Amino acid sequence: MQNTITKQRVGLNSLKKFASGNSIVLVVLAMIFVATLAEGTQFLSLQNFMNILRNHSVIGIIALGMSFVIISGNIDLSVGAQMVAVAAITVSFVNSTGNVVVGIIIAILSGCLMSTATGIIVTKGRVPSFIVTLGMQYIYRSLSMFFMSGGGFYLDKTKAPFYTQISNYNLFGKIPMSVIYYALMFVLFWFISRYTRLGRHIYAVGSNEKATRLSGINTDRIKILAFTLLGLAISVAAVVESSRMGSINSTSSGNAYELNAIAMTVIGGISMEGGKGRISGALYGMLILGIINNMITLLGVNVYLINAFKGLIIIGAVLLQRKDREL
Amino acid sequence: MENCSLQMKDIVKSYNGVTVLKSVSLNVRQGEIHALLGENGAGKTTLMNILGGVVQKDSGEISLFGKPAKITTPAESQALGVAFIHQELNVVNDLMVYENLFLGRELYKKTGVLDAKRMCEETEKVFKKMNVFIDPRKMMSDLETSYKQVVEIAKALLMDARLIIMDEPTTSLTQKEIDNVFKVIRGLTKEHGVTVIFISHKLGEVVDFCDSYTVLRNGENVSSGSIMQENGEKISQTDIAKMMVGRDVLNQQVYVEHEIGEPLLEVKDMTVGTCVKCVSFHLKEGEILGITGLLGDGKDEMVRALFGDLPHTGTVLKNGKPLKVKHPSKAKCQGIGYLPPNRKENAIIKDLSVQDNITITALEKCRRGVALSKKKERTVAQEFVEKLRIKADNIQNRITSLSGGNQQKAVLSKWLNAKPDIMIMSNPTQGVDVGAKNEIYAEIMKLAKQKIGVIVTSGEAQEIIKLCDRVLVMYHGELRGELRRDQLTEENIMILSTGGSLN
Repeated sequence: MQNTITKQRVGLNSLKKFASGNSIVLVVLAMIFVATLAEGTQFLSLQNFMNILRNHSVIGIIALGMSFVIISGNIDLSVGAQMVAVAAITVSFVNSTGNVVVGIIIAILSGCLMSTATGIIVTKGRVPSFIVTLGMQYIYRSLSMFFMSGGGFYLDKTKAPFYTQISNYNLFGKIPMSVIYYALMFVLFWFISRYTRLGRHIYAVGSNEKATRLSGINTDRIKILAFTLLGLAISVAAVVESSRMGSINSTSSGNAYELNAIAMTVIGGISMEGGKGRISGALYGMLILGIINNMITLLGVNVYLINAFKGLIIIGAVLLQRKDREL
Repeated sequence: MENCSLQMKDIVKSYNGVTVLKSVSLNVRQGEIHALLGENGAGKTTLMNILGGVVQKDSGEISLFGKPAKITTPAESQALGVAFIHQELNVVNDLMVYENLFLGRELYKKTGVLDAKRMCEETEKVFKKMNVFIDPRKMMSDLETSYKQVVEIAKALLMDARLIIMDEPTTSLTQKEIDNVFKVIRGLTKEHGVTVIFISHKLGEVVDFCDSYTVLRNGENVSSGSIMQENGEKISQTDIAKMMVGRDVLNQQVYVEHEIGEPLLEVKDMTVGTCVKCVSFHLKEGEILGITGLLGDGKDEMVRALFGDLPHTGTVLKNGKPLKVKHPSKAKCQGIGYLPPNRKENAIIKDLSVQDNITITALEKCRRGVALSKKKERTVAQEFVEKLRIKADNIQNRITSLSGGNQQKAVLSKWLNAKPDIMIMSNPTQGVDVGAKNEIYAEIMKLAKQKIGVIVTSGEAQEIIKLCDRVLVMYHGELRGELRRDQLTEENIMILSTGGSLN
């Protein structure tokens, strides 16, 4: 009798061990399984999957950058507004010159510059990033509305026909380019997190800033660079978004992107305490949010309930990870 | 047995099939200070956790104050009059003293409003019992560390604790503060019959303050008895250390003759805020320079300034060339390493693995092209794990999985890996057991042999005497005197560090 109990325990333990650290993957698999059970859905079709990815690639790219900032022990609430500002600068430049390549370079420079400025204020001014980026959010949003007179900028398709193709072209007719950009950014950010000195230092700063500083590492520089990387992600997101929409709007674009990006990272197991979590988590987080949105539509559930499910998943995912850590 | 506060008999405990306590017994008489001794991993903490109800014993008996006791939760243990004071202070600095004492057990008036007056009175009563005088309305953050420790003890008394367990309470205290705390404890045991179990690595304290001892090694009883032996003499630290480690370590010769070379570092008129005033000194290649003093002497601020962690004025010359270090990262580039005090707070990067903690100071050495090579990192870390005999199951595990002594060795490895010419170490053996202590001393000797200039700051005179070629004694931010190795005695150090002068 006792033997069987211990045997069961051992079995349960090894299952728990496998689940530990991988519970997020299990959640994704479970969700896909449930989705396919629903009768008559096209959930498993490639088309549908590409839709999920395409619809979430912009926020997903921002979430990659957000991961670095959160791992370094900070937060950025201004990403949505900043994306609109970067896109506005880019679109107006492309409209007036027709030069797409320089436009993209300008997008990246301006995005990185804005985030670097945030990082400098946070580190040198010793102001919590929550406060700085809350302020930045208002500033970017307000300036965008001022320069766009509360409306939006539309892409001049005659001057720069190529710009719309950036996001709307489908590779082999099947894979949307925005998914390719997400994949490229993912590889870049994953590489930085695992295989560079900067990546390691970002984790160290988030885990114990004092000890990292006393290891002879310029911690301010590391935190600023984490913001700069987020700036790069925002710039790419701005180009992809404005190209896909053919416009950018000062009031309706980029709303709640910061919260969705934070949700993706948190669902993916990146701890708000800093120092913990993997970049792959941001990918799982994006998949989970994407699949929920998609399932709810496919299953014909009332769309007003989407956010309730999202909320449940966010809390559930974090609870699950607490369990993982305790094991 | 009569007059026994606590009897633990044949306690067995194992975790995941590994037996950590093999039939351990502990007898503590009422009103005594009983030292529970052993190296890290000997089972002291587990035994006390069983008593505190934090973990469950597998078998064995416990009786408290003459009655068999069943302890399964911390609350039960507390109800039986056992209080556990942990190594880290559990005080809230932003609250007042009395608020800390009554945290979670606040007294209310009939109207449901907090009764601050009564709480203050009760606090004063407890302090009076302890013969200390602290204003109950003082902010906790304004208290010296030793008084914070005293507040912790007061908290225990307020809960009517009759048996207080103190787990290394003195690691962060200076000698004067330790004396303070022990004066209070002694009064309690004598006048109020409170019993204290004292866990410490500082054998000097044990001999000076405790009445009896129990030594554990590898989860077994090695020996127990009175500190005052039958022949009327106190048991020696050497004997206790022998029992703890199983060999004589305390008298092991640490100092090795080594050659002292050319001047390496020259500090002139260094001033750091109000902590360090116009200090000048020099350091030679292969020299071990000790800096010591009492609390508030400024030694730690001075070495932090040297490492670029605090702003300072004055000139620093290295190899005759002026050196400007405004940030620890600059100091590292200039070949200066710094092992900070308070490992947990300043040195351990808790979410990183043992390996990542060791390689973090010199990741550029572990690169292939632009990418970090995990293989090279593993080789580097493995080399130090073997060289310093760091006991780690797996170097990919978090550094927090190591015991204190091994964590300290890993932190030291991190700096050895950066290959500095000048190595500054503050309290290099803080919270480290006797065995690991000697290994760290041996490592310091090796550094000196490699012509590295070593600066050791420590409040422990014995440590300084064992290690150093030359010692600077500081007093209130000023250099009070310099002692050559042949002048090094505890007496001389004490005279200088209390502001006196020799001859």
